[in-house]
Amino acid sequence: MFEAWGLLFNGLAAASEPSILLAIFIGSVIGLFIGALPGLGPTAGVAILLPVAVGFDGTAAIAALGAVYYGAQYGGAVTAILLGIPGDASATMTVIDGYQLAKQGKAGPALGISIAASFVGGLIGLLLLTAFATTIARAAIAFGPIEMTALMIFSLSLVSVLGGRDPLKAGVSLFGGLWIGTIGLDPIMGVPRFEFGSIYLFDGIEFSILAVGLFGLAEMYATAPVSEDETNRARFRFRELLPNVRETLRCWRELISGSLIGFFVGVLPGAGATAATMISYAFAKRFAKHPERFGKGAMEGVAAPEAANNSASYGNMIPMFALGIPGSGTTAVLMGGLLMIGLQPGPMLFQTQSTFVWTIFGSFYIGNLALVAITILLTPILATAAFVKPGFLFPAVMAIVMFGIYSIDNSMFQVLLAIGFGVVGYIMMKLDYPPVPLVLGMILGPILERGIRRTLIGSDGDVGVFFQSPIALVIFALTAALIILPWWMNRRARHAPADHPELTPKVGP
Amino acid sequence: MGSNMRGVTRRAFAIGCAALLTASQFAITAAQASDYPAKDIQYVVTAGVGGGSDILARTLAKVIQEKQLIPVNILVENRTGGSGAVGYSYINAQEGNSYTLGGVGVSFFTTPLLGKMPINYKNFTPLAAIARSPYILAVANTSPIKTIDDLKAAKGLKIGTAGAVSDPAILAHITNKQLGTDIKVVPYDGEGEVIAAILGGHLDLLYGNPNEILEQVKAGTLRPLAVTSPERMTSLAEVPTFKELGYDIVHTQLRGIIMPSGVPAETVAYWEGILKTVAESPEWQAQYVDRFNETPLYLNSAEFGAAMVETSARYESVMRDLGLAK
Repeated sequence: MFEAWGLLFNGLAAASEPSILLAIFIGSVIGLFIGALPGLGPTAGVAILLPVAVGFDGTAAIAALGAVYYGAQYGGAVTAILLGIPGDASATMTVIDGYQLAKQGKAGPALGISIAASFVGGLIGLLLLTAFATTIARAAIAFGPIEMTALMIFSLSLVSVLGGRDPLKAGVSLFGGLWIGTIGLDPIMGVPRFEFGSIYLFDGIEFSILAVGLFGLAEMYATAPVSEDETNRARFRFRELLPNVRETLRCWRELISGSLIGFFVGVLPGAGATAATMISYAFAKRFAKHPERFGKGAMEGVAAPEAANNSASYGNMIPMFALGIPGSGTTAVLMGGLLMIGLQPGPMLFQTQSTFVWTIFGSFYIGNLALVAITILLTPILATAAFVKPGFLFPAVMAIVMFGIYSIDNSMFQVLLAIGFGVVGYIMMKLDYPPVPLVLGMILGPILERGIRRTLIGSDGDVGVFFQSPIALVIFALTAALIILPWWMNRRARHAPADHPELTPKVGP
Repeated sequence: MGSNMRGVTRRAFAIGCAALLTASQFAITAAQASDYPAKDIQYVVTAGVGGGSDILARTLAKVIQEKQLIPVNILVENRTGGSGAVGYSYINAQEGNSYTLGGVGVSFFTTPLLGKMPINYKNFTPLAAIARSPYILAVANTSPIKTIDDLKAAKGLKIGTAGAVSDPAILAHITNKQLGTDIKVVPYDGEGEVIAAILGGHLDLLYGNPNEILEQVKAGTLRPLAVTSPERMTSLAEVPTFKELGYDIVHTQLRGIIMPSGVPAETVAYWEGILKTVAESPEWQAQYVDRFNETPLYLNSAEFGAAMVETSARYESVMRDLGLAK
């Protein structure tokens, strides 16, 4: 481990070479833009740049591609906060509180906390990657289908706090999301499900399209008919364009818990950054002193998911660097990049390509710092977008959104799908159905389904195996505690004289 | 002025025709070859950037460009979606267009068999195959299974496959049939997830491309049991083939190139020539075959067409057994 820091120091020195610095800078800026562009996420960004990047020197190419990846995590929050449209899938949870803050005129502080969270998440992720990559990789593979099932049940029980006031409506929304998650080829049997004869639904529905429609477009449909006076959301004040250090520091708990959750969920094969943001947001809300503030513009609600998605992007790279296997779609494309520059990714990469690996790690540290500088400088400029009148802003945003979605697959179908989800989101908003359970169902449902079905194939349908894994048992116990404890404390509080009503934990629906 | 220009062009055309009429057969072919290709070639990849078929397409385009085999560019374009249906439907719609190329992946055969694409391999013109990739059956290095005989004796084994409808999945079912075993087939979403599950002890076996398996074998994490190529792989000379062990498990993924239907025979011959030059070049050997641990190969249009019929039949028989084929 101590050796690692020496190697990292050499890596930092090697990554400070002008050509690599330039690659980091270019990659970061492209990543920021691609992350901010709704529809296009880090996977698409790395994929678009890959054929160009591999034309350059190998190390610079991978440094640039890596920068696109983590740069996109910074960028995704920008559109989420300013426009209420997730710039990429893993910024969806950031919309919930980030956009509320912007509407209240606190766009600057909201962007500030997202930058701070991205940096802290990135740094914690990087430190863990540097120090314990191999150890963590070994631990992560202990998570098989059984453990994954347990983790998803735990996550779904956590997210029950995200349902809103009416448990029935939250349930309907959740099941809608679970159903949407089943559209496309059955992952186990290989037969198409609910594809309605369309080849475009064959591979399922892209999450970012659903998220853009449900949050961004629905909000625009709802705001468009409102007169200008009513939409005059907040008075323009220069101070509110700047990040607020004190409010940022107040979120230290969420920054750390978000980073750690993001990292460990990110390492697990098949889980992903978006699931990590949902779990970290739910965790932050569940253990918050004032959970009722979440969803109404809580800084903590931006801090937790933004720390998680940055941290997850480094967690995601661990299986690639330490075991030579891609842990996610984006790292699969990155591995394609390694192959194209003539490096064989494998479990021996640390030994055989030590200089390369440590230079790349060094470039990650530099890139993270560069992104903080770039985004802080951009914050006042970007934050003014929150004060632009919807009459000017929405047509431009709508055009950019359509462009972003069209460029995923060059397909009009996806554009129509997003518009359709916008209508669904609008109806849900008007009828007071919370959209968050729907996106949770769509992300966590498929992971849960795969876990259960893979386990049951292996056990010939015997459910008992779920209780034979020690890891799963611990997670099940935590789940039970999470459900029973608040109920029990609530009961006790009701019997006790209510002189401290604010201390009573809020029970999830 | 316009009519003047047209006059000049017409005269030149007349002279050209006269020259052609008096020229030999060889000269005609040469003239046509120099007419084609007259503009950039579009190479449609039906999967995303960075995947196997995408890397093949980009490396092929690079080698052709480096060796200056054609006077125009090859532009690689990814048309993803519908498990290949989007891209292959697009190529099919370019009927008679000699400027569209496509790569053959597993979905080229399996998606039509699922009954979700109204076209199949018969709707395309095979040009040539330029490499092939066998599959390796492997276990974790800590596994007590060391040979295929151990495998047949073992009970309650699980094999992970990358995808529910894929080469590894099809091979897993063929293996059970041929070996008379009862190995449970557990589909995952990708090769990486399968290897992770093997290393974590959640699975016992996998079928993988040399590209993914060899590094793990070198690092001592996986142990190969047998390969699906007709003869042993040079990079794994000590590992037997299923064929020599007496099992009819022979399946390699052909890296082939297709065109839409209705392209002229000269175009096919033209590309056969180009692709043969590529397949036999040291550049291709170094940048593709060696780098991705594939097996060198060249099949011309007729041979590749025959292989396509055979491959589709193999998929169809397994998918029918599984109740997947319509």
